[in-house]
Order: sequence, then C-alpha cells, then structure tokens
Amino acid sequence: MTLSSFILKNALRNRRRLALSISSVAASLFLLITLQIALRELTNPISDEGSTLRIIVRNKVSLGQPLPARQRQVLEKIPGVAAVSPFTFYGGLYKGDEKFTSFAQFAVDPLRTRELLADARIPQEQYEAWVASQTSCILGRMTAERYGLKVGDRVQFTGQIYPCDLDLTIAGIYQGTADDRNLMFHQKYLDELLGNPGTVGTWWVRAASIAEAPLVTERINRAFANSSAEVRAESERAFVLGFVSMWANIKTLIGGISVVVVFALLLVTVSTMSMAIRERFRELAILKALGFRRRELFAFILAESFGLALAGALLGAGGAWVVFHQLDIQKLTNGLFVMFEVTPRMMGLAFSVAALLGVLAALGPMLTVVRTSVVEGLKTLD
Amino acid sequence: MDIPEPIVTVRNLSKIYAQGEIQVTALNQISLTIAAGEFLTLMGPSGSGKSTLLHIIAGVDRPTSGECLVQGVDVTQLNESELADWRNQNVGFVFQTFNLIPVLTAFENVELPLLLTRLGSAQRRRQVEAVLDLVGLSDRMHHLPRQLSGGQEQRVAIARALVTDPKLVVADEPTGNLDSRSAQEVLGLLQSLSRPAGKTVIMVTHDPKAAAFGSRSIHLEKGELTR
Repeated sequence: MTLSSFILKNALRNRRRLALSISSVAASLFLLITLQIALRELTNPISDEGSTLRIIVRNKVSLGQPLPARQRQVLEKIPGVAAVSPFTFYGGLYKGDEKFTSFAQFAVDPLRTRELLADARIPQEQYEAWVASQTSCILGRMTAERYGLKVGDRVQFTGQIYPCDLDLTIAGIYQGTADDRNLMFHQKYLDELLGNPGTVGTWWVRAASIAEAPLVTERINRAFANSSAEVRAESERAFVLGFVSMWANIKTLIGGISVVVVFALLLVTVSTMSMAIRERFRELAILKALGFRRRELFAFILAESFGLALAGALLGAGGAWVVFHQLDIQKLTNGLFVMFEVTPRMMGLAFSVAALLGVLAALGPMLTVVRTSVVEGLKTLD
Repeated sequence: MDIPEPIVTVRNLSKIYAQGEIQVTALNQISLTIAAGEFLTLMGPSGSGKSTLLHIIAGVDRPTSGECLVQGVDVTQLNESELADWRNQNVGFVFQTFNLIPVLTAFENVELPLLLTRLGSAQRRRQVEAVLDLVGLSDRMHHLPRQLSGGQEQRVAIARALVTDPKLVVADEPTGNLDSRSAQEVLGLLQSLSRPAGKTVIMVTHDPKAAAFGSRSIHLEKGELTR
C-alpha cells in the first residue's frame, strides 16, 4: 500500500455519494462552460480577415432611416475606399417560417460583392450567373444545408420591413466566410419592387488596407457632415457590437448566473467534503495517534477534495467539449448560435474553478483537523 | 538482583480541564515510575483520571504542569510535529473499539504506521507478516475488518501497535468490547509482550480479572494515586 492508494481507497469508500458529487460538479461546470460560450457568441462578433477592412455606413439618425443612393458617387471618391456596395437589410420571412427567419437577406451590388466578401468562395460560373440574373441570389452554405436548398431552387420571402415580397432563384452557394448563413440578392431588384425610391439601407465599404480603415471611416463621416443625410461610419465589428449593446445587460445576466452556478458548485463540494471528513473524524484522530502529522492529514484531505473537483471538471468540461463538437448547434438553435466553440480559455476557466473549489472545500475539514486534538478525536470513539 | 531501568518517569503531573468557568482536576500531582518490561494496569472508577494519565504518557495529551519522561525524553516539551514522530517510533496504541480503518485489509491496517517510515515495500511486508504471524492472523491478512470477529480485530490492532517495534504499548480498555474468551486471548497476548518480549505495556481497565494479567496494578481516584 502507498499513501496515494490509501487516499484513493478513502475517496472510494462511499461510491454512490462520490459519483453523485462528481456528477454535480460535472453538471455545474458543463453549465458554466455553456453559459460562457453563449456569452462569447452573443457579445463577440464573428470576424474574419475581410471584416477588419469592411466599414458599415448608416444613417446618423438611426439604422432604420435609409440613405440616399446618390451618396455612392461621393463614397467611391473618398481616398482609401476600394469598393462600395449598397447593403440593405431586407428582413423577410422565408416561406414556411412563421415568426422568425434565422438568416438575413441583404440587397447588394453583385459586381462589388467579391471585393467586399473577399473570404467567400463561390464557383466562377455560379457567381457569373448571379451577376447576370437580377432575380437570382447567392446563399451561404450553412443555410443551404439547413434548409436542403441547392442551386436552381426558388426561394420566396414575405416582406416584414419593406412592402414587397421576393421571389428569387439560387444562382450560387458560397462558403468560407465566418458566418456562411446570409442570402444576398440584387439591390436593383429591390429598387424595382419598391418603385425606385432612390435609397439604400446602409453602405458597405471596403478600405484599401487595414492601416487606412480608421482613416477612411473618419473621412466618410466628415464627407457627409452637415448634409441632409449625415452618416455614421464604423467598422463592421463596432457595428455588430452596437447590436449587442441593444441586448442590455446580457453580460451581467449571464455573469450573474455563472456566479450562482459556481457558488452552488462550491456548496456541493464543501458539503461532500465535510460529510466525508465528519464520517472519518475518529479515523483522523487514530491516524494522528499513530504518528501522522497535520501536514500529512492536510494532504489527504486536499488530495481527496482536489480529486473530486478534478474528476468533475474532466467529466463536465470534457463532456462539454465532446458534446459541442458533435452537435449541430446552429440547427438546434435555429441559427441563433453558429460556432458554439469550447475554447482553450474556457477549458482553462473550468479547470481553474475546479481547482479553486478543491482547495476551498478542503479548508473547512483542514481547519477541523487543526482544531481537534487526538484526545478530543478519541473521545468521539467511545 | 538487577533493578530494571525506568522507561516512564512521571513527576508532579497535574491536568486541569476548564469546562466553561468550572475547572476540573483530572490529575493532581501524580508521581510514578514504570520499569521497562513491566505490564502495568491502571485501575479506578470512571473519571478517576486513568485514561488522562495514559494519554499524557503516550504523548496524545499535554499536562497542565509536571514532567513526563519516557525513555529520557520529556514528552511535555515536544512540539506537535516532534510529538507525532515520537509517537510513531515509540508508542503502540490499542483502543477499546479497535479503530481499524474499515476500507483497508488487516495487512494494510497494520502497514499504516510504516508508511511514515523510510522502509521499502519489501521490508514493510516482512514486518507486517511477522507481527500478523505473532498475533496468529497470518491466514486473515487480506480480510477487511468487517470480515473479522471482534477478537481478531483487536489482534489486528495489537499487530498495528507492534509493527514499528515500539518500546511502549498503551492499551485503553482493550477487552471492553470483547467476549470473555477473546478477552483472555488478547490479555494473554499483551502479557506475552511485556517481560518475554521486552515491551512495556500500560493498560487501563475496570476489570480486576483483566488487571490480574499485569505485573503491577495501580489505582487512581479523583486524580490521585491511592495504592
């Protein structure tokens, strides 16, 4: 027998309680990781190489206010601007969806899309077919797979913002962007359906280089200052984060739930360790009498507590990693979440929480061992 | 005639417990000498201080005043850590309720004190097997405590007390939970440890029949030696 096998035998003496305790820790850490992923996905916009170059230009009054189509000529002449396209959020309801369609539809200029969506991969013939047909569209791979759509299929949308419906033919399927969900169609088609109002929702601008992107943003804002349609230009990331800020205290809410989860976890672990040590109070006194010193008894308690927390972390965090790698989260959440990725940082967080719990849960029993003399412990025997 | 060296010398030992505002004198100026190889029995009514005296000699309790020299070492002056080492090397404990670790086999229970030593596993095995053989439990070494009778459990406890080869064995009511036959076996075993094996055995008991196994008996009453 070794000291480690002695610790293991002690830890396994009440297997049902141990299994339940490990399961509690695992379930709590699984929940903690899930919350952290959700928080990350909601508050951290997905970004790719192209997103650092892209600038969204919207009406300074509000996002709902359209911009004059004539601004395009001005935008294209601003130094550092490489490409400009309308970027109008149609926001329609896909046939079959009752309340919510999980992918966005944007009216754009197809001729500029390749420059703006540099990460997107689409077969040349599909791209050309899209450019050639005004009633065609291109669709992200994720959405195509989710709805079982393919090139040549027709898709219809009921307008929720604009007083017109869309009837589009899929000309191509793109992939390779950070978010392969969106549908893009011709701005001209939307203009015709709306009677050529001469407006766009927003502008999508590509800066010539990353270094110039902030300067371009500033120049655009300045170019339309004091005009009838002042604009607010911002990086794509800042634009998306603006949406997130509309979710109010989502961070506080998820953070609060996470704290409660960790606290519950602490109570479970402390309770388990307290019970385990109380049961063995007399044995600890015997071990002391036999010559075991405080530090050895501390090591026993700490090892057991730490082992319990670590086993829970392996099961909970490891389980989360396996589950979220296997599940099609986008499908399960109707497209609300795309990646749902367990990052090394989250695994680190889960294991750090477990390690901290292991230590905290051991403190109480360790204090009891310090306070109790051998004689007091022996008195509990008879 | 040779006079055996004293292994335990107790001088003016007092122990006062504070229970709230009330002070209880458990031991009052006790002085005592125990020779090496003696089988001393401590007798007296409940609350007479016999277990307290045993605990102080064994280094698991501290007196309020006085000296307690065991093999020349004043155990009252050792700190917690030194005392733990000293107990491991010099004292074997036998308790009324056996106090074996239920998840460990007889062999592992006996091996437990040796985990604190620098002995290798082969040497530990030899020592454990030797003491289990001494108490007649070679054939039960892989049994868990629940698979043993009370008498066998107490013999395992005695083997555990002997495995580090201590000079001093202390036993607190070792036959209190045993039937008369098992009690006789255990007392016989403790008796065989004293003069023939050179161990000093100090045993607390209420039972005059058990005390008869000792080479000397002393009585305590209200914390004082009466005879």
